[in-house]
Amino acid sequence: MSHLQGSSSLKRKRQDLALVTGSLTDGERVLYNLIHSKKDMGIWTGDMKRETNLPDSIVKKSLKLLQSKNLIKEVVNIQNKGRKHYMAAEFEPSKEITGGVWYNQGRLDTDFINLVKDVCLKYIFRQKVATRDGVMEWSRKSGVFNVEVTTQQIDEILRTLVLDDEIVEVKSTGFGDFSSVPVGRICYRCKSKGGNRGEQKPGAMASIPCGVCPRINFCTPDGIISPRTCVYYQKWLDF
Amino acid sequence: MVTEHGIKFGVHLITKHFGKIVAKVCEKLFSHGPLTLDQLVRYTDFTKDQVRNSLLVLVQHNCAQAFVSAPQDDDDDADRLRVRTQYLVLFDNIIHRLRFPKFLDIVSRKLDEECVKLLVGLLRDGRLTLKQMVDRESQGKENAVPTKVVRETLCKLLTARFVERCPAPEPVVSTSFKETTTKKRGAKSAKIFEAPETLEQRVVDAAVPGDVIRFSLTANMGSNVDRETNSDDVPMISVEEDVAKEEQILWRANFEEFIRHLRHKVLIENVRTQHDDGTATVLSAVLEATGSVEKKVKMDNSVPLSLDTIITEVMKTDTGRTMTIDRIRASLVQLGCSPSMILEESYSIDLKKIIEPARNEEVESIVLKRYGRDAYRMFRLLAKDCCFHDTDQIAASTLVEKKEASKLLYKLWKDNYLYMEKVGATAGAKQITILMWKVNKPLLWEYVLDEMYHAALNLSLRMAFEQEKDEELLKVPKDKLREPGPLQKKYKRLLNVRLLMGSSLLKLDDALMLFHDF
Repeated sequence: MSHLQGSSSLKRKRQDLALVTGSLTDGERVLYNLIHSKKDMGIWTGDMKRETNLPDSIVKKSLKLLQSKNLIKEVVNIQNKGRKHYMAAEFEPSKEITGGVWYNQGRLDTDFINLVKDVCLKYIFRQKVATRDGVMEWSRKSGVFNVEVTTQQIDEILRTLVLDDEIVEVKSTGFGDFSSVPVGRICYRCKSKGGNRGEQKPGAMASIPCGVCPRINFCTPDGIISPRTCVYYQKWLDF
Repeated sequence: MVTEHGIKFGVHLITKHFGKIVAKVCEKLFSHGPLTLDQLVRYTDFTKDQVRNSLLVLVQHNCAQAFVSAPQDDDDDADRLRVRTQYLVLFDNIIHRLRFPKFLDIVSRKLDEECVKLLVGLLRDGRLTLKQMVDRESQGKENAVPTKVVRETLCKLLTARFVERCPAPEPVVSTSFKETTTKKRGAKSAKIFEAPETLEQRVVDAAVPGDVIRFSLTANMGSNVDRETNSDDVPMISVEEDVAKEEQILWRANFEEFIRHLRHKVLIENVRTQHDDGTATVLSAVLEATGSVEKKVKMDNSVPLSLDTIITEVMKTDTGRTMTIDRIRASLVQLGCSPSMILEESYSIDLKKIIEPARNEEVESIVLKRYGRDAYRMFRLLAKDCCFHDTDQIAASTLVEKKEASKLLYKLWKDNYLYMEKVGATAGAKQITILMWKVNKPLLWEYVLDEMYHAALNLSLRMAFEQEKDEELLKVPKDKLREPGPLQKKYKRLLNVRLLMGSSLLKLDDALMLFHDF
């Protein structure tokens, strides 16, 4: 109970709550209170029915009305996109519901991720070597992103760039390119010569048809699929 | 362990070089393990002569080794009297046939044209005596080439260890694996030699003469050094007899040395891309200095050297002359020789650590091309961490949509690129199954190697097919092919096809060595 007595904003909220719920029917009020109590986690319609024991039609009708009064909103739950999930309008969905900072409307925001990746990579390429803090400071100062990007986000982007084999993690030796970085600090260096993404050279297997063939397990010298009749080879050797 | 497609590729190479009968004998030896002549006759339905000749071809070209299995304690008299000569097929030597151009290239860069010519003969004919080499050299020439000249060339090749004496024709080998051969060698050497793991290894080891005799030209020397393999040593022989004996010695190319060279080259080039030229120079100097002392090709660590020796060796090289001691020491640290690892002030470089990223890169490149960038990122995460991760964790760390992540992981697992385990867990009242993923490197590498043999076989078959298809083109006079028209177009295509496929096979063979020989 202690956290309810303390802050004045909470008191005001309670008053507001009383105000808004005053004009609601019993069913709507019960439903609203339940949704509100779930805070930034929201609740699935199935769970509402179970917890309130209200008939299906009432729940449906009430949800519609509550939504039209802007008291609740429908949110996408990343764990189960098919289920209808509701939350009180004043809350922002938690990380568990949205999937985290990289999600937008329940979908991974690949455009944004790619943008941040590109920008970071270009910066590291220009700097030759860069630390996480360097990238962070530069992004903040230059205002390259419209929204605020956190340190954790930059960390995640750098990690995926390492996994993409676009940059490598190295420890500063204090010499040459590292002269501006204290010895032993973790730095990132571009792998490609041009600072562009996706420049890796294919290996020996990946540059021949068999290396990328989805049917290699069915291929035999005299079988239906064979190197003699292979369409991939045909394409490869089409000069 | 030789994989299924490795055998198929080996048999294919033998078919291509020596025909179907020899290939059939070879295939039987692969599928049944070591066999006697009679057993081979039974399994192949060929006549005894056909099988004997096939075996002779295989032995001549170092693709098979005969051995006599040592009598065992529980054998009865009849068993003891029975002929025990068995034939073992040598997979590695068969695949090495693909690499002859690479071997010749090494010699042409390290030695001279004469050595290359001599080696061409050895590679073509398998085994030659000095006399045969002289005859070969004299062919088509007015005057016979003096034996002395050929002897000198051979001597150069022997000093560089590119050529060796042929192994003992029929060493006696114990086929029981209960006792280790190290016991026979005596307590002193037992500390140095590890027990050979496979029968193949045991037979090869038993047949190889000791290092001194293996690379020496003179007939009588060394026979006392290596009693085990050379029982016919006669003390006090005359010079004439010596020369006559010398002419009978059979020589062959030493594949092991060539593979060692190729391995060193790959190690140095990988260090160059991973670090810098200076570090590559240091590694190169260390390997150059210790190459002859290496016990086998697949050395996990370089032979320990003191810092002083390393500095001397580095300064001997053109690129190393500019390096200071501090830089050499820094390079050694980059190569993983941290001060705590130094034993008795000597440096030993972990070579396995250099090979591993090269292997990873090859597999990752397949994953990228076959399954796309998201799968590539997930695969790299798992390969780097070498431990189990669940789907959600992988999706979050690689910024891939969860549904997409599980689809890709499943695909990779289905194609044997990932290892998966199901773990049961309780979440509240519900029982859920969590899928845990991992890259199992030894298993995966064996699988990829088999796929590579398959790919090499396919490339080779397709090359033959293309050649066959345009056979008539090769019979057309060259002048006609130069005239513009459909014929010229066809001819140009054939040349391009040959070039592309030939270079692809050479490149693929580099990858085969990376996974099998290095």
